[in-house]
Amino acid sequence: MLDAYVTALGMVLDPYVLFVITASAIYGLVVGCIPGLSATMATALLVPLTFFMPPVPAIAAIVTTSTMAIFSGDIPGCLLRIPGTPASAAYVDDSYQMTLKGRPELALGIGLWFSVLGGLFGTAVMMVASPAIADFALGFGSVEFFWIVMLGLGGAVFIGSSTPLKACISLLIGLLIAMVGMNNPAGQPRFTFESTEMLGGVSLIPMMVGMFACSEVMRHMVSDGSAPHAVVQKIGPIFANMWRLTKQYPWQLIRGSALGTIIGIQPGSGADMAAWMSYAMSKRFSKEPEKFGTGHPEGLIEAGASNNSSLAGAWIPALVFGIPGDSITAIAIGVLMMKNMAPGPTIFVNNPENVYALFLVFVIANLLMLPLGWAIIKIATRVLSVPRRVLMPIILLFAIVGSYAINNSLFDVGVMLAFGVLAFVLEENDFPVAPVILGVVLGPLLEEYFINSMIKSDGRLIGLVDRPIAAVLAAITIGIIGWTIIASIRASSRTEKLAGE
Amino acid sequence: MKFNDLFGGFAFLALAGLVAFASWNLPNPSQQPLGPSAFPLILSGLLALCAALLAISGARATQAGPLIGLSDWARSGGALLRLLLVPAAVIFYMLFAETLGFLICATAILVVLFLAGHTKPLHAVGLSLAAALVIHSIFYLALGVQLPWGPLEPLRW
Repeated sequence: MLDAYVTALGMVLDPYVLFVITASAIYGLVVGCIPGLSATMATALLVPLTFFMPPVPAIAAIVTTSTMAIFSGDIPGCLLRIPGTPASAAYVDDSYQMTLKGRPELALGIGLWFSVLGGLFGTAVMMVASPAIADFALGFGSVEFFWIVMLGLGGAVFIGSSTPLKACISLLIGLLIAMVGMNNPAGQPRFTFESTEMLGGVSLIPMMVGMFACSEVMRHMVSDGSAPHAVVQKIGPIFANMWRLTKQYPWQLIRGSALGTIIGIQPGSGADMAAWMSYAMSKRFSKEPEKFGTGHPEGLIEAGASNNSSLAGAWIPALVFGIPGDSITAIAIGVLMMKNMAPGPTIFVNNPENVYALFLVFVIANLLMLPLGWAIIKIATRVLSVPRRVLMPIILLFAIVGSYAINNSLFDVGVMLAFGVLAFVLEENDFPVAPVILGVVLGPLLEEYFINSMIKSDGRLIGLVDRPIAAVLAAITIGIIGWTIIASIRASSRTEKLAGE
Repeated sequence: MKFNDLFGGFAFLALAGLVAFASWNLPNPSQQPLGPSAFPLILSGLLALCAALLAISGARATQAGPLIGLSDWARSGGALLRLLLVPAAVIFYMLFAETLGFLICATAILVVLFLAGHTKPLHAVGLSLAAALVIHSIFYLALGVQLPWGPLEPLRW
């Protein structure tokens, strides 16, 4: 293992990789800082560029960009009360109140310092846990993997979704999109409409760019899009009180990081849910809960550490089982597959140095966040004043060229547009978009595991549950789904009763 | 534009039906117990179930709200026009990229979109040229993507 780490270190310290890491760090920080541009969009726009890179820098670009963007989403939340990414929404009141009290540097410092600590905590857990889990999972067959994918998809749709039915439909649309083409166990062309372009299936990159960037541009077009104005111009020394706060709230830091990592591991819930739950937890156990929401550091520390640690946590099921924890890791898995590094337990046997390189990139990205984060905070008031009406058309052009570049194909540009419109219409009608991506990424795997399991058992359904681990996974999955259905039926009958009265 | 879930339910029900119809007779060359049509059929069944539930919940809500609710933006013609500019720009690129070349197409799209966002005309032209050149350099020079040149072919660098 040590040998592989040494090789990995050599791969990461390559000047080209370091350049990619630094450039993506700056890019992620700037995009995350601009309200309306999410971390997911930042990552999706980057994918066409990673297409032209070797595996390690490609994955380094994705990891670094998402890490930085989640932190820098705190900046507009603090200065404008507009969270830059949904992951910062939980504690935006506290940080904005600090700004109003003339102490933006305290809120931003907490965001930066505790993001780094939380991120490093999550990375450490990932480095220890994922090889161990992968080792255990080496004995899994198609039945176990079928249930793991089902568990991942079930969790994504049924946990933490405000509209489970609509999320379920989104997921099924994604799974159906994945059926297009010849990429199925029988190798038969399906739903291709006699088009040669469709034989390979719907290309993942234009689809992701369309769903996360093109739809965002469309949403901007119907909003007013003027640049909001920051109330403060001067930001004082950022790291001044951080050591004192770390000593004052060590328990909050550990609890936030741990909960964030666990929520990240749980498929389907990402950084935003980690922040909300940690903020609530912090308030629940605080000695001074009445101070929350008025510019109190405690919740900021816990939730700020939590959302960054969840990013690393989400990579554990992504790497070990190929199950994305949120839409960013779904994009990342797409990139890994594109680079012939299909995730799964065998990746730790066949490609350990690439996986360890990914771990090291996480460490470097989190350490790099200290100086670069400091710099972006210093120029934040100027970055925030860049008008979105100038950025959005450029993003659209980038989306067009990025989709075209993969295969020099205008057909892919059309795919990008189609999925942009689809995502826009879905979101306007409260259908979540993330399950579509999960469905598309996991659809071929789910079908393969299902068909292989059924063939092994001669088409008898009992074959899906007659191995102990598979039976346990099946019970958990069915439990989650059943519990959500019962809860939603109860909730709707309660509202009907209320309406009746 | 917010549709009542009744519409969504029927649309997805129709989709499920189409998928089931299209996958019913897919050939199964290796004669496996479950051929290539099995999985799409299961999915379309589940989709039909969810769509029916959605339609029922939509039908219940018809008393409460309008069938098609307009979001705030859809009431203003300007916003709707700006929204349509996005697909228009992409389709324009698909139609004319080969003949006009990347630089001309990209600049034209950006100028129109900037003007729609109330950028001053002179700024819009300058910004568009600069952005088109930068993106061109990233993809053409740094990544080696063969972007079309169109009538600017003699200027190729």
